[in-house]
Amino acid sequence: MRIIGILFFAVAAGCAGGLKEAPPAKEEASVALALPAAAPREPAIAAAEVIGIEPVAAAPAPAPPSKARARVSASAPAVEQPRKNEDPPPVAERVEPPLDIAALKARLRDTHAIGIFTKLALKNQVDDLLNQFRAHYQGGQKTSVASLRQPYDMLVLKVLSLVQDSDPSLARTISGSREAIWSILADPEKFNSVA
Amino acid sequence: MITRARASALIVPLATLFAGPSPAAEDATLLKDLTAVIILLGMPCGQVISAKRQADNDHIASCENGNRYRVFVNAEGRVVAQKQ
Repeated sequence: MRIIGILFFAVAAGCAGGLKEAPPAKEEASVALALPAAAPREPAIAAAEVIGIEPVAAAPAPAPPSKARARVSASAPAVEQPRKNEDPPPVAERVEPPLDIAALKARLRDTHAIGIFTKLALKNQVDDLLNQFRAHYQGGQKTSVASLRQPYDMLVLKVLSLVQDSDPSLARTISGSREAIWSILADPEKFNSVA
Repeated sequence: MITRARASALIVPLATLFAGPSPAAEDATLLKDLTAVIILLGMPCGQVISAKRQADNDHIASCENGNRYRVFVNAEGRVVAQKQ
């Protein structure tokens, strides 16, 4: 009887270990569900604003007038239902504050999305870019700092491509911090205070 | 007999619970890391299909396109992918 109890405990412990991995999959699923819901709506609104059409034009086409009223009123809640779901997207609206350079380095150091070689190579490339900015500011700024925008963008894209699959949260944060980090790099005073 | 059964009933689940990642998982992680670093350094590779460890932080990576690179950390602390 005791052995059965021990075995039961062992099986329960094993199952508990397996259950720990479930939440990330659920979170990913919720991200995947939240994003397509929000995505089609934004371009329609943006296009309407650019063209100058009122947002009503983007709404779904009304039911044919020949149909009975009762049927129209019955279908109305069915149209409203997806809007209610779109309004509170749980993950997409959780906007993290933009990162600065030190925070970006720390997040990249802590993530499990990339291996140790990749982290070190990224650190090398970030340091190289910072050295380019330093040389630019120390060299009397004969050219515009905008010439460093392309290497900066390339590095951000590299980082995003490395982390977007395994750490989508970090990828979103980096993507959202892109302009904030550039504003620090492109301002000599801010750059000198950071670097 | 009961004692042996009890011991094995405890040891097996404990070993399962506290065991680290399997060598195969470590290999997959290393191959992924080497793939990423070779691409990051701008070398043509595709995907690393095998790796041979030479020393700490020093591997020979074989790519699916046939290229081989020695990936290592040099004295300056830089990751280098050297074509073989």
